[in-house]
Amino acid sequence: MSARKRLLLALAWLAVLLLGAWALSGRLQLSGDLRKFMPEPRTPAQQLLIEELGEGPGSRLLLLGISGADPGTLARQSQALREALADAPQLRLFANGSGGGFDAIPERLRPYRYLLTDSARLDDPGYLRAQLEARVQDLGSPAAALVEPLLASDPTLATLALAEAWQPATTPQHLYGVWFDRAGANALLLAQTRAAGFDPDGQQAAMDAIDAAFARVRGDTTTRLAVTGPGAFSVDVAERTRREASWIGSVDTIALVLLLWLAYRSWKIPLLGVLPLASAGLAGLGAVAIGFPGGVHGITVAFGFTLIGVVQDYPIHLFSHQRAGLDPRASARGLWPTLATGLVATCIAYLTFFAAGVDGLRQLAVFTIAGLATAALATRFLLPSLLDPAPRDAAGSASLARLWTRIERLPRPRKAFAVLAAVALAVVVLAPGPFWQNDLSRLTPVAEDALRTDARLRDELGAPDVRYVVVSPGAGAEQALQGVERLRPVLDVLVERGAIAGYDSAVRYLPSMAVQRARQAQLPDTQALRAALDEALADSPFRADAFDPFVADVAAAKAAAPLQVGDLAGTPLAAAVDGLLLQREGHATALVSLHGIGDAQEVARTVHANGATLLDLKQASESLVADYRSRVLFALGLAALLLAATVWIALRDRRRALRVLVPMALSTLLVLAVLRGCGVELNLFHLVALVLGAGLGLDYALFFEHAGDDRDEQLRTLHEVIVCSLTTLLVFSLLALSSIPVLRAIGSTVALAVVANFVFALFIARAPMRRSA
Amino acid sequence: MLPSLLAAALLATTGVPAESLAAGPQATVQADWILERIARPAPSRTGFVELRGSKLLKEPLRIVGEYRHPDADTLVREVRAPYTETTTIRAGEAVIERAGKSPRRVSLSRVPELAGIQSSFGAMLAGDAGRLRQHYTLDADGSRQDWRMTLVPRDARLAERVRNIVLHGRGAELRCIETVPVDASEVQRTLLAGAARDAAAIDDVAALAALCDGAAAR
Repeated sequence: MSARKRLLLALAWLAVLLLGAWALSGRLQLSGDLRKFMPEPRTPAQQLLIEELGEGPGSRLLLLGISGADPGTLARQSQALREALADAPQLRLFANGSGGGFDAIPERLRPYRYLLTDSARLDDPGYLRAQLEARVQDLGSPAAALVEPLLASDPTLATLALAEAWQPATTPQHLYGVWFDRAGANALLLAQTRAAGFDPDGQQAAMDAIDAAFARVRGDTTTRLAVTGPGAFSVDVAERTRREASWIGSVDTIALVLLLWLAYRSWKIPLLGVLPLASAGLAGLGAVAIGFPGGVHGITVAFGFTLIGVVQDYPIHLFSHQRAGLDPRASARGLWPTLATGLVATCIAYLTFFAAGVDGLRQLAVFTIAGLATAALATRFLLPSLLDPAPRDAAGSASLARLWTRIERLPRPRKAFAVLAAVALAVVVLAPGPFWQNDLSRLTPVAEDALRTDARLRDELGAPDVRYVVVSPGAGAEQALQGVERLRPVLDVLVERGAIAGYDSAVRYLPSMAVQRARQAQLPDTQALRAALDEALADSPFRADAFDPFVADVAAAKAAAPLQVGDLAGTPLAAAVDGLLLQREGHATALVSLHGIGDAQEVARTVHANGATLLDLKQASESLVADYRSRVLFALGLAALLLAATVWIALRDRRRALRVLVPMALSTLLVLAVLRGCGVELNLFHLVALVLGAGLGLDYALFFEHAGDDRDEQLRTLHEVIVCSLTTLLVFSLLALSSIPVLRAIGSTVALAVVANFVFALFIARAPMRRSA
Repeated sequence: MLPSLLAAALLATTGVPAESLAAGPQATVQADWILERIARPAPSRTGFVELRGSKLLKEPLRIVGEYRHPDADTLVREVRAPYTETTTIRAGEAVIERAGKSPRRVSLSRVPELAGIQSSFGAMLAGDAGRLRQHYTLDADGSRQDWRMTLVPRDARLAERVRNIVLHGRGAELRCIETVPVDASEVQRTLLAGAARDAAAIDDVAALAALCDGAAAR
């Protein structure tokens, strides 16, 4: 096959991959739902966390502040932003303190005001007279234009009372009709996203809508918009991760191409080198897309691409061994047993992820196994035909030969390794500080100043706490609401004592049917109301027939069926109630959001004594992470055993198997010791990175072990392992420089593992060759 | 409500400076001339009598009190009869205080009638005809000693509710403000300064309306 034909074939392969990627991009449904990556919940708190993760009132909330101009301008922009976003499909609620709330009650529900508020005294002429006197004053006040349209049907202003009751418990100050912070420097706004807090795409869409609206509202003024809250943070972190991963990726690519060119002095090698890796990624994605039509988790893809990083080495093995006079196909055939041993051992190890009982890990196993197998098969059967049959022989390099001679003179410090292993083990076990990092949020840290802004806005707006929430379960909505109603006096006492600054619940908007019926029973019938009203109107400035619509509304309220959640559909109230009353098949949960928590333990004790539970979402998520990790560890333990057994069977010799396995085990131990010694708290990403490191080490050792006693083969093996480890080291060292802990964890762990595995493979796996040579 | 705010904004004071009539009683009056005369820097105050009609009421409510303009950003409306009530308008918000009750806050932006005045408030007090013309078209007629200025709102939201606002005055004295709603049903009147003092002795609603027009005083 001519060089030209080979190149054309390689380009055709690349074209097929691009075509495949294009076809897949339409089918691949990336899901950001963290729940898919979590194990099945066991405790009730975990159950609620998983069910309602990101659905709670706190996690959907975005806090906004507009600053950078005089209060009048800020207020105008706040209003304009509210108008622009009032009907945005991404948001369920957008509030800035304006609007009295009458607009919140649709006309057809207005008579219900007498069931939604306490209106016990409507049959008392004295009360009515006092109310009418106050209304006369209202007509002569600046509020006249606002109140007058309501008066005929609502002389006691129950509508206003209701609107006030629906205001947040502690509202910020009003300037120019909208919320402002105490200093008057920030116009404050609150948004509730439709998407759950942990749905990054939905949060991104909401943030984009807000940003676009603000850009229009802002015009050419110099005002600034600050948005905080769980959703805003996750969008920010995702964006930063994307940005860093993207520049690291670009630098990596350039460096990798240069390195491969330097190692083989051929510009075709980088192209050929990338084909198996790209095929592996595509095959992995394709396999999960077919196997999991419900959506591929974003983390699967991230972890998966990390784990298949090992296949970058496969073509390098082939390249380094190629020399004039050797048929590339024969070379591939010769390398296959070693490559296959590593492949099969690793794939069997990943099979254990199936046993972990987590959808996300199953996806990861499918992705990795499909990817590794594809890359290995491509290297074995496709790549040889494309290879230049007579490149520079790596064994011909004088400097490499000198290096190998020096390596051969190195001692075999078995005892030193044993001591090293013991010391490493001691460090791993004895190093102070927690072993594991359970706090998910620490993986994706929010910038300090964003946290400060959030704390300030949260304080000013009296926004609910994101960590604690009180839950009142029930067989249905009615029961759950009644539970909260029983809880209210207790919560009021907690507010008085300062254990909490305030709370919010669905019953503030929608009392239980029981309460509504009780209020209904207290409403006077038309005759009694008419009599009381006539008495109150006797010598008032109001006309005798002025309040006929009022009498009609009370009669309607007295006869109406109690208001239920379903009746609120399509009103702004539905958003408020839905966030605090979660209805599921067969059960309902009413949430009480808290803010300004002073004493969580007292709250927990008090609500528990009253049939509700204080849920610590942080604790629940941490226990879930710990639970998750123990499953992963179990799977990995099993994987290690299977891997050792596979190597043993493949090599058919205890000593050979040990030479291959010991460097890998020692490296893993050493990396753990270094991480622990540096005070790093380990997380899942470290674990995944360790698995990759071990996989790389296994390959290095297998190839060193396989090199045998032919000096040229030894030189070529040295060359390939140097190229392999340098490329991997390069990629992951850059990742270790990242400011994002997730990327840093993977980068530092793998980089360390590569160095350790290379050194140990050199010392241990090649050891007997020196003796026989 | 609007007339009362306008009144406060303009804060007509007592007395007709002799020089204002110097051009002669018959000369046709100009809006700029009026605005220049009725501008009042803080602090200042004036008494008022307001007539508030409503379909719900047997007859218009008669409210007596005083407007104060303690500083450039603040306006106080103090009602003394038939009840006591203090309204403080500052930073786009009206705070209404009544004895024994917690203050009620009303955003001016929620009431179109008030939103208009919010933007023209400063212009009125400063006698800034240009700024006032951004929000209203102005038309003056009559003589300098008995003038009438009609304000037609430009703002669409306000124009939905208010047809026009008519100011009546003599020289530098703004005596009465009439607000005519779009349906012309209930004209609201605020008598100020000398007219408010004259009104003290009058009970009859029709006579008070006439006083606003200036007829009764002539």
